[in-house]
Parts: sequence; structure tokens; C-alpha cells
Amino acid sequence: MSTAMGSERLGNFYTGGKTRTRREWRGLKDTWYDYTRWLFIWKTMIKFATNPNNVRGMFRYRWMANYLVAPDFVDRHTEGLRGPQLRIAHQEFDLIVEHMCDTISTLFKADPLIGNDERLSKSIVVFDENMMSHIMNGFPNLRMICIEIPPIYTSSTMCQDGVLHYIDVSQSYGIPGDVCPMPSAELGVAIEDDYPHIGACMVQCNTTCDGSLMANGLEARRFKIPTFQLAVPIRHTQDSVQEYAADEVKNAVRFIEEQTGERFDWDNYFKCMDIFNQETKQMLEWLDLSRSPYPQVIGNNVALYRDATYQVAGGRDARFLEADEEITRLAVEGYKAKALCAPEVRHRAILWGVQAQYYTAFPLWLQNCWGILPLIDMLSLTSTRIFSIDDRDQAMLDMAHLYQNMTMRNRSNGGYEVGVNDLWRFCESFKADMVIMYEHIGCKAMAGYHGIFEEQARERGIKMVWVTHGLMDPRAASRKDMRNDVSRYMHTVLGEEALDASLEDFDDSNAW
Amino acid sequence: MKDLKHLYYLENLLQDANNNLVREAQAGGRLAVGSVCSLIPEVLLSLPGCFPVRLRAPNTGSIDLGTYYMTSMSCECCRALLERAVEGGYKFLDCIIAPDACAQMNRCVENIDLLKLCDKEKFFISYSDVPMKSDETALRHYVKQMRIRVLEQLSGVYGVDVSDAALRAAVLGHNEACRLITAIGEYRKEDNPRITGYEFAVLCTATYCCPKDLLVDKLRETLDELGSRQPDSGKNFRARVVVAGSEIDNPDLIRLIEGSGALVVADRFCFGSLPGRQEIVLNDGEDVLLQICRQYLAWGKCARFMDTAKIEERQSYIDELAKSYHADGIIFEQQKFCDYWGYERALGSRVMRDDYGYPVLSVDLPYAVGTNAQLRTRVQAFVESIEIKNIQGKVTR
Ligand code: SF4
Ligand code: SF4
Ligand code: SF4
Repeated sequence: MSTAMGSERLGNFYTGGKTRTRREWRGLKDTWYDYTRWLFIWKTMIKFATNPNNVRGMFRYRWMANYLVAPDFVDRHTEGLRGPQLRIAHQEFDLIVEHMCDTISTLFKADPLIGNDERLSKSIVVFDENMMSHIMNGFPNLRMICIEIPPIYTSSTMCQDGVLHYIDVSQSYGIPGDVCPMPSAELGVAIEDDYPHIGACMVQCNTTCDGSLMANGLEARRFKIPTFQLAVPIRHTQDSVQEYAADEVKNAVRFIEEQTGERFDWDNYFKCMDIFNQETKQMLEWLDLSRSPYPQVIGNNVALYRDATYQVAGGRDARFLEADEEITRLAVEGYKAKALCAPEVRHRAILWGVQAQYYTAFPLWLQNCWGILPLIDMLSLTSTRIFSIDDRDQAMLDMAHLYQNMTMRNRSNGGYEVGVNDLWRFCESFKADMVIMYEHIGCKAMAGYHGIFEEQARERGIKMVWVTHGLMDPRAASRKDMRNDVSRYMHTVLGEEALDASLEDFDDSNAW
Repeated sequence: MKDLKHLYYLENLLQDANNNLVREAQAGGRLAVGSVCSLIPEVLLSLPGCFPVRLRAPNTGSIDLGTYYMTSMSCECCRALLERAVEGGYKFLDCIIAPDACAQMNRCVENIDLLKLCDKEKFFISYSDVPMKSDETALRHYVKQMRIRVLEQLSGVYGVDVSDAALRAAVLGHNEACRLITAIGEYRKEDNPRITGYEFAVLCTATYCCPKDLLVDKLRETLDELGSRQPDSGKNFRARVVVAGSEIDNPDLIRLIEGSGALVVADRFCFGSLPGRQEIVLNDGEDVLLQICRQYLAWGKCARFMDTAKIEERQSYIDELAKSYHADGIIFEQQKFCDYWGYERALGSRVMRDDYGYPVLSVDLPYAVGTNAQLRTRVQAFVESIEIKNIQGKVTR
């Protein structure tokens, strides 16, 4: 049996059920490695599930059911991978699972309905999902929990129909069906009273967009703890807004100090920012490799993980830097060995727009099925500035910069310079011949550029493949619909045949 | 009731963005400043030598081009404006001053920008960041943005006088129109008002789309005329309503509602007068721009103001209006595909119904209203439900 990438017909593993028929054979070494990592995930899950608080949480919160499929989630994001890419993927996804288990365990421990640890609860500052966490670098004695991440953001990627119930709840409340499902689902959790009532106070933010800030206003009614709404400028590329952005960060810091009695700890802030800077430097190395003929950290191996490092960890969790350094080591090794990320590389693509949360493994499919290298995606193209580690005034501006440049909102806000022009700049610097353009039906911020993208891609001779999806609602466009968008283009426009024909048409409508 | 003398004239002005008064003002050497949102204080665009034109797309038919550029999921109002721009309907503009207030309007303006749909030699578009809260930090930011992104642009490109004296002159002119509209609007509080919601909407919308100074004579005469106007002896309506929500730039929509039995006595929407047509009060001590911005922040009722205090203020304001204009119910509306007002409508409808006890009709509207049979039916059913409620109330009493 061949062990090379592309040796298995990956589509044949899907027969319409929840899971695939068997594990992939990747050759002895890689299969064994993958298997040990699979066992590690199970160990993490079993440890999590044997904690009595978590068991109770499982029964109390409907969204918890999504986490039972964490091993499958990791498997989906390693499909077809070999050698360094397989190891990089495990570095990342295994850490994401661990991190999520920690967060949920803390959540349930503090939850008055479960662990009822009041002291812990009072040390938590509840954050909106859609915001950076760097303010908390100055509060080492406090914890930050992005309250919407476990029920919605991660749930949706674990399990494709994991948040549909909450979208429906929100719509029954009266929220129109055309809005983005993310804030809509997050509001649905609040309406159902499915957020643990924890925390000393809450900081919400107007990132990422109009719908998201509006949902926050409604959610604030349910949390019933002192809430600060952090207003981050929209036109974030203009110098004239930076002072205000920094003033708002100061206001948020003051609010947290007042509510918790803690003082902003500059030493800790700078210590964390130093780690954050080092993480950024690792990311810059990966991007450099992606500009070469032998990219190593691409597609799924950047998205999600970069989000977690950049936005949630923010330099406070040293495990991320350790993982980053290991990823760089593996990537350099792969580069030196001229390892390819696909059985055959046919196109180099930038993924633009917002990815489908219910199909975060889609970039892997692009590699395996069509030899399209998803070099980098819009959500991962966030700020790569190196920030001050000793100047307090500059630090406020730095935090302001980060809050303005949160994942996704740095491009959905700020005008066409960042939403459109940057795309072509990236195409050039990554030597991409193709753009996979996610058209998320409910994202009006990006939809407004539709015609401009079409026309400018044509002028530049860039292949533009539109992939329609519903972000967290596969009823709007299924995983299969997304694949069909690409396959149709590859056949009819480019006249190409798939590398793995079994991946062109398979049934994963019921899969997790 | 006898027709208002200037109604037909004003209705005609609303048939084209580049209407007779706009042309007259431009022929006199004044600059037409395109505006797309209430968050840029109109008065800043009314400096000597300029006048604001709030963009509309009257008589919109197909919006296919707008849809091509912005997809079928974008706000219809934005698509209609873009369509009109592609048709060349805004070529008369000398500039557009746009805030980054809602993403979709911002995209609409950016499309106009990138597609170079306005091509006067010195034409420019200025984007500004407008705050989402109304505290002191936000006010400082607002003032700075308005100075840099509005005043300095106008003076830099066209040499417009932006001194305090010029701002005060602009406020005087602005206030004159606001005073007249407010006085006219007061008649809507009467038991059997001598002005309909439709007539008022024509007058008020015209003040957003025409140079105000060229309109005030007509407004003054209308106010005089109303002083002695006799309403019909019987009431021509079955219920009184406040209409609240996102942009309504087409008085025909108000006519449609009124044709279904509900008199619109208060207009709490963009292009309406509540708020929008208050006078700006200036003191002698403080910076004029600061005073203007402070009042706009305090009045602002746009759904994008995100802090809890402002959210609740929006609801209590509707309650105040309903009380002072003696409304029986509230029509909460939004333009289709508007995120801000989609959420606001859901929340506002519930709060006004559950917490304040008003009958509420919650609707989403297409930009081009036409005859919209569905809306007509829904308003009729709403009016009936109010009547039934009133009858039941009397029986119980
Ligand atoms: S996907 Fe678009 S609409 Fe949804 S939260 Fe992000 S920016 Fe907003
Ligand atoms: S509703 Fe708000 S954002 Fe929309 S145009 Fe009016 S003021 Fe501007
Ligand atoms: S209706 Fe909503 S989306 Fe449309 S321009 Fe107004 S605020 Fe923006």
C-alpha cells in the first residue's frame, strides 16, 4: 500500500454517516504518530469528562454536546496530511482542544448553577467573543473568558449543525433571517439563557460589524453584570482616529479597575506583549515560507490557530509560543526537504472573505482534491506589528491598534484599502494566481465589494472562484455546495480534472 | 381638506435628486454636498456657499446594477442609491461627505468612489469616523473628525469659509427651517390634525434634499396657511401611529400607511423630524463646532449608538412621542437587509409592546414601496387590532 500523499481515495471514507468508515493509512510512521495524537485527544477529553462540574455542565447546556466530537474535529483537520504538515496540524489543533477544555472547565467551576466558585467568578472579566484580549495582559490576577466562544464559535466548527438551534431561537425572537448567523446565534444563546452567569463585569466591543454590535446590546440585557461597551473606530486606517481608540482602551481599563479593585500591572502587560511579539515573529517566518515555492504552514494550519493565538491568548498563555516555535522548526525542516502540501501543486490561492465556520476543513479539501494551495486566508492576515514593551503611552496606542485590527474586523471595517486593495497586494507578494472568494451570504460588509472584486480580478488576470456559504448555517449552502462551486469552476473555466476524484462528490451532509 | 398650496410644487421637487432648487443654487455658484447619513451634522454642510443634498433615488425601478455590485443581500436603499449613481443621477454633486456609520452605506459610497461615478474636476469623497456612544470621549472624537474630515476638506478643496462666524450663520439658516418644520409638525398633535402625515413627510423630506434657504418661504407660507386650515369634519383615520425605524425617504410610504387607516402623527426615522429638526442652541462662550456636535450626540437616536443608556433612551423617546402625539400604536420598520434596524426592530417592538404596553406592528420594507399590497394588508389588520383593543378597553371600563 502506498504511503504517499494522495494515495488514499479520501472521499470513499464518507458514506453518509456521522463519521468516516476508517482511519487513513499514511504509512507506518505517520499513521502511528497520528494514532498517538488521537489517543492524546481522547486522554484530554476523558480527563475533561471525568470532572464532575463538566459532567453537570454537559447536562445543563445544550451546546456542550458539540464537544463530544472533538476527536473527529481534529481528524477532519488533518485529512490527507503527511510529514511536517501532519505534525504542525497536531501541534495546533491538539492545543486548541486543550485550551478549550481548560476554558470550559473554568466556566463551569465558576458557574453558580454548577461549581459555584464565587471567588473564581469574581475574578473573571467576561469578554465579548469578537474582541482582542490584550487589555487583560495588565491584570494577571484576573481571568478573561470570551463568553460566546464555547457555545457558538467553537461549537459551530466542531459540529456543522451545532448552533442551528440558537439561530432559530434568535429568529423566533424576531431577528431577521438575513443577518449574519454568528451574532444571531450568540444572541440566541442569551435568549435561551444558555450562558453561564459568571463574572465580575463584562466588556463588550463594537467589533466586528454592525450586526455583531447590535446583538451585544440585546445580550447585555441578559447578563445583568456591569458592562462597558468599548467603541472602536471603524475607519481604523486613519491617523485621526488613533487617539480616540486609545482613550477608549483607557476607559475600558479604568472600568475593569473600578469593578474588580485590581490595578493595571504594567510589568505583566509588557511581559505578555514580549511573548506576543515573539509569536508574531514566528508567524512572519511562516508567511515568508508561504511566499516561497515550498509553503509549509498554510490553510487549516494557519486559520483558527492564528485566531486563537492572536485574539484569545494574546501573549498570556506560554503554551502558544512553545507550539509556535515547534511549528517553525517543523516548517523549516519541511521547507529544506522541499515537502509539498498537496499531492501536486497546481494553483497558489489566497482565501478572502470570511470562512465558513461549519467547514473550516475546506482549505484541506482544496489541497487534496484540486491541488490548490490555500496559502493564507483573510482572517489570518491580521496585524504583524511588533509592539512596545516599555513605553506606556505607546502601549495604549498599541492596544488601540490591536482592538481595531481584530481578526476579520480589520478587513470588514476600514474601507476598500484593507478590504479590496490589500487582496491584490497579497496576491502579488504570495505569487498567487487564484483567489478563493468566500461569499458569506449574511456578511454585508464584504458583500458590498462583490462587483468590484469581480471587475478588478478580471483586470488583473486573477482567477476568482466564488464559494457561497452561510457561515454557521449549512442550510443556506452546504459543505457540498461549497465544493461544487469550486469543482464547477475547475472543470468549466479551467478544464482541469481533480487529483482525487473521490473527493469531488461524496456525502458528508450528516457528518459532524 | 383642501390641498396645501405648495404641496404639488414640493412633491415635484422630490421627483429628482437634482431638482430645480438644487440647480438654482448651483447656478448661483453654490456647492452641492452629498450626504448619506444623519450622523454628519447637516448644518456643517450648510456653510456659506454650500448646501447639503441628502441622497435619495426617487422613482426607483430596477436595482440590478446595484445588486450586481453589492449582491441581493445588501440594504435595498444602498443598492438603489448606487444604481442611481451608475445611471449618472449624482453627477451634479461637488463632493460627498460620508461617515462610516453603517457598513452597507459605506460600501455604496465606496463603489461610487471606485467606479468614479461622479466626475466633476474637484469632486471628492471624505469618509469620517463617527462615534457610537455619546460620552465625553466620544464627543472629543466627533469634534475632531468633523473638523478634519468635513470642515478642513471643504475649506481645503473649495475654500469654503469654516470660521466660527460662518458656522454661526449656517446655524441661523438651519434653525429657521427647523423652527418652521417643528411648528408645522405641532399640528399633528391635534385631535383631528389639520395636516396629514403624508403632507408633513413631503415638507420635511424636502428640507433634507433642497437648499433650505430656497425653501423657507414656501414653508413659512404653508405654516400661515395651516393656521386657518380646517380639517375635514369627520376623522379620516381610524388610529394614530408613530412610525419608528430606519430611513424613509419616500412620502408615498406614509401615504400608503395612511391609506390603510393609520394616521402617521410622529416620524421617528432618518429623514424624519423627530429628531432631526430641532433648533441648535448656541452660547457665546464655547467653540461652535463643539456645541453643534454635542447637540447632535445628545439627540442621536440611530440604532448604532451601542451603549445601554442610549438603547433605553431610544425606547423611552418613542414612548414620549407616542404620548405627546396621542398615538394609539407604533409601527416599527426597517429597510430590508439592514442589520442595525433588523436588531433594533426586534428589540424595540418587543419592549414597546411588553414593557410599555403599545400595540406594535413590526415590518421590513423594500426601498421602492410602490403599491405594496402586503404592507397595506398588514397595516389594515393592525388598525383593526387597535380598534378591537380600544373597544374591549371601553367595554371593560
Ligand atoms: S462574518 Fe461579516 S457579518 Fe458576520 S460577524 Fe464577521 S464581519 Fe460581521
Ligand atoms: S439610520 Fe443611522 S446609520 Fe442609517 S442613515 Fe440614519 S443615522 Fe445613518
Ligand atoms: S437602512 Fe440600514 S443598512 Fe441601509 S443605509 Fe440605513 S442604516 Fe444602513
